[in-house]
Amino acid sequence: MRPALHAEWTKARTVAGPLWLLLGTIAATVALSAGAVSVARCPCGDMAEVSLIGVDLGQALVVILAVLVIAGEYGTGMIRTTLTAMPHRSTVLAAKAAVLTGIVAAAGTVAVLGSLLAGRLILPGHVQPLTDGPTLRTALAAILYLTLIALLGLGVATAVRDSATSIGTVLGLLYVFPVLSQTIGDQHWQRLLQRITPMPDHLGVTAAWAGAALLSGALLLHLRDA
Amino acid sequence: MPCVRPCQIPGSSRVAAAATGPEPGAAYNLRHESNCELALSAPGIVVAGLRKRYGTVLALDGMSFSVRPGQVTGFVGPNGAGKSTTMRVILGLDAVEEGTALIGGLPYRGLRHPLHHVGSLLDAAAPHPGRSGRNHLLWLAHSQGLDVRRVDRVIEQAGLAPAARRKAGGYSLGMRQRLGIAAALLGDPPVVLLDEPFNGMDPDGIVWMRGLLRSLASEGRAVLVSSHLMGEMQHTADHLVVAGRGRAIADASVAELIAAASRGNGATLEDVYLRLTREAVEFRTGTSTEDRK
Repeated sequence: MRPALHAEWTKARTVAGPLWLLLGTIAATVALSAGAVSVARCPCGDMAEVSLIGVDLGQALVVILAVLVIAGEYGTGMIRTTLTAMPHRSTVLAAKAAVLTGIVAAAGTVAVLGSLLAGRLILPGHVQPLTDGPTLRTALAAILYLTLIALLGLGVATAVRDSATSIGTVLGLLYVFPVLSQTIGDQHWQRLLQRITPMPDHLGVTAAWAGAALLSGALLLHLRDA
Repeated sequence: MPCVRPCQIPGSSRVAAAATGPEPGAAYNLRHESNCELALSAPGIVVAGLRKRYGTVLALDGMSFSVRPGQVTGFVGPNGAGKSTTMRVILGLDAVEEGTALIGGLPYRGLRHPLHHVGSLLDAAAPHPGRSGRNHLLWLAHSQGLDVRRVDRVIEQAGLAPAARRKAGGYSLGMRQRLGIAAALLGDPPVVLLDEPFNGMDPDGIVWMRGLLRSLASEGRAVLVSSHLMGEMQHTADHLVVAGRGRAIADASVAELIAAASRGNGATLEDVYLRLTREAVEFRTGTSTEDRK
């Protein structure tokens, strides 16, 4: 496992794409959060959730990054080099997942802290510091959510093997589900859709999606010809 | 010296079956034991009875041959004869319905750090266009527990030094082939498997490649090279496996093949090849081509 991790880490740091996407995630998250806080009407109580609204945008870049980690290799054909160098396929996927988790958690932490800081600067006194229990919990949930979204993207891309299709599928799940649940008339379906949409305050649901995607990806990776 | 016991797989070759020893069905494992000669007698590549179907097309239909150390074995045949599929099967990328492909007595997917056992260049395995050739080799080295010194060594060996720090996306086809060769040599493997290495090479590159293949074989490595260039194979290969319709339709030394075909009138390897594969080509360009699509 260690050589595989080392190899995947070297891959991630020797092309420009991942770094730019991580920086983009941070920029997009902080910018939207700051915008949302500055247009919020006050008095408004605790603004921690509002000041983390940028995660809704940052997640899109996380999805692209996660998908490219494996679908990019299918695009060029490099996956064959990867699998001849590391024929144990679950190890390859595990190593990719571990490296992805690490870099997304790091960038997610910066993005979340930046957003909260922006909130405190724009609306002093309305965003509680991290020492406040609920704020800390919201912040950790947002970071965890971004990592789970990354794993969801990786799992879907491993199963689908095509960048555009994978990105479309995951973004559809993340953005179309909430819209659908708003427009649907039937209350029962509305509630069901809301309940199964991945969201930062639905960590269990998000984890289930990520787990299911990774599991099916791993299974297909194992069964199919490369 | 560690002795390697191959696993038993139904329909496996004579070599694999004989080497399975007293515990049939046991998974392959590495152990020190006195009965090493079986594993050692099967270095190189042994392909036995491969059968694979893509939908209705029978891609491999009993492909069997072996690649001996110290020789360049040419792997030729018309398009669609199963050469690339066979190579992917040897490398554990594609699964087969029947048969075995063993490297030094082991299936590829059972190798730990496989680049120390087999180096390969595949036509359809391009590097990431945004990564430099050197960094491509670097992640490969890391995947095998090797370090950067080995990377710089193979860059020299493959004549890639001037382009090593440039992005691979800007490489000519010839440079990409050299990068692939560098990757194949990374683990200093006893077995080398190259799919169309002459593709896209300029005349200098072709001369270099010819010399490289000869020297790899003279160092005692087993070298398998697929190619469409019969003239090239006549000068480079010691042994030839001709594929047609998913099986080996000839498996003999180059000298034997030419001698058998020419009977004193000076046939070339190309003549021999065309005669051997005529039937296979007619089969594929006849009515069945349309039926398959």
